[in-house]
Amino acid sequence: MSITLKGVMQAPVTPLKADYSLDADGFAKMVDFHVRHGAPAIAWPHHKAESLNLTIAERKLGAEVAVKTVAGRVPVSIFVGTLSEEDSLDIARHARKIGADMILAISPYCRRPSQEEIFDSIVRIGTATDLPLLTYNSPWRNGEGVEFTGELTHRLIDRLPNYIGMKDASFHSEKFLEISRVALRMRPGFAIIMGVEHLLASFPLGACGSFSSSGAIAPNLCNKFYASLVANDWELARECQYKVSRLWRLFKEQYPSSLKGAMIMMGRPVGPTRSPLPTATRERIDFLRQQLEELNILQTEPHGW
Amino acid sequence: MATFKPGLVHTPVTPFKRDHGIDFDTYGKLLEFHLRHGADALALPLPQGEDLSLTDAELRTLLEFAVKQVKGRVPVLAHVNDAGTGIAVERARHAEAAGAAAIVSHPPYFWHPKANMVVEHIVQVGAATRLPFFICSPPVEDVGTPLTTEITLQVLERLDNLAGVVDASMDWVFMAEAISLARNTRAEFQLLPGTDYMVSAGVLGGAGAFSPLSGVAPKLVREVYDLCAKQQFTQARKAQEDIAALHHLVKRAGFAGLKGAMRAMGRDCGQPRPPVRALGEIEYGKLAQEIGAMDFLRAEPRGW
Repeated sequence: MSITLKGVMQAPVTPLKADYSLDADGFAKMVDFHVRHGAPAIAWPHHKAESLNLTIAERKLGAEVAVKTVAGRVPVSIFVGTLSEEDSLDIARHARKIGADMILAISPYCRRPSQEEIFDSIVRIGTATDLPLLTYNSPWRNGEGVEFTGELTHRLIDRLPNYIGMKDASFHSEKFLEISRVALRMRPGFAIIMGVEHLLASFPLGACGSFSSSGAIAPNLCNKFYASLVANDWELARECQYKVSRLWRLFKEQYPSSLKGAMIMMGRPVGPTRSPLPTATRERIDFLRQQLEELNILQTEPHGW
Repeated sequence: MATFKPGLVHTPVTPFKRDHGIDFDTYGKLLEFHLRHGADALALPLPQGEDLSLTDAELRTLLEFAVKQVKGRVPVLAHVNDAGTGIAVERARHAEAAGAAAIVSHPPYFWHPKANMVVEHIVQVGAATRLPFFICSPPVEDVGTPLTTEITLQVLERLDNLAGVVDASMDWVFMAEAISLARNTRAEFQLLPGTDYMVSAGVLGGAGAFSPLSGVAPKLVREVYDLCAKQQFTQARKAQEDIAALHHLVKRAGFAGLKGAMRAMGRDCGQPRPPVRALGEIEYGKLAQEIGAMDFLRAEPRGW
């Protein structure tokens, strides 16, 4: 399949049973829900899917469920970021074997890696398979996180013919433009995908879409938002962005606990959140219900699977 | 109070002589340059004007000089900033008396203040005058105190003259939250990009801009500004990328980079005042060569 990445792509949560074990049947429903509601791609398991709280065996099982459930309707990306590079390589090779369409990689976390270390790690992961490769730019304040600068992006595009795009979570004008003006010149189809729907600020500058935070709650809003961007209807796009930003404010703390709580309220039982993340309390869910009503989300978005 | 909309605001550097004194002759020429090349307003001295390197007396004299030089042709916004609240309050009162059209201020630096301390500081500075008041959010990598959405909203509740935020954080999450939530309280609340990255701020609902690069490439800055004002954000991409390339080059050399770029364009404003490091001749030569290789700067004015 030739891969075209654009629009609000969905990154499903990981449904868990009451005993915190992986709910594979629930996950299949979750993936199918997203595809039926217009997701142009499926990407799993992002942090929203509690990736670091899943075992490697669970991640492989979930990847298999995702690929099987999607069944070629849209591209499937498998996130291979782990604490150990050996696990990332293992998951990448597994993704290739089961028929995933691409992988999303970040150099292993928690080490404040240098630009050289990120380069070397991504080259090792990117050459472990021939799958198209996305990287995950996650700079934090004060030099923490894993940052793909414009210069590093240039070197990686030069080195890796299968490097097709980046998930960008910088949400920052200067950082975004350092990447976009380098990458889109070197590889015009390079897909810059925003980490959550901070699409309005990036779309006029070359972003092609986003991985979604709010699509599990408001897929109709996501699709309307992207359509308004394509139409350059900035007024409508602004209205959608403001609403999505308010949703992000509701969900970003202890992500994805609140998101899962709201999904359950909307008839999609995705279960608890694994420790150390808390599970949304009844009070929190009541608060979310009130907020989602005020935003006209409960009244306009799908309930159930 | 009628809404004060400053438009495209140029933020001049502060020229220094070899003995590190303020070079007022050159400053006069520089202000005239900005007025002739598209400034709807001036704001001074911002960080690129090396405000932290000026004494209290110099800050006051500089503002008085600028107001006198401009003679009402455009509004002059005074940047009033200090770690001490009382000092900043007094300087704000002076700015109003000197004829400033508005006050711009950052959260207080150095003390690592908690949010309630930041709110109190900003409210006191803002309430010191009846002028329109703008809060600056510092760059995300800055050592200064960040301006959060919550602080902005709390200040908005307490200051009738808070006109908006001048954003140098370039943080889309902050910008989207601040503008959308603040406008629930005050519909005319403004978001102005505090750097030359105008497209993202503009499409999020911002208007106006503070432009540090206006001393180097005023035509390019005006082009992006006008396209954003016409809501032509996609069409502004190429020019915005050019500005980003220039910003990236200048930033590599710090404060000295901006003055170096201006010198390369024929507008020598001297070196930064210590402790900011000056550009050596080899570094300057390399910078000037790279400026010369930027084709998009060919249309820009050379000299004064």
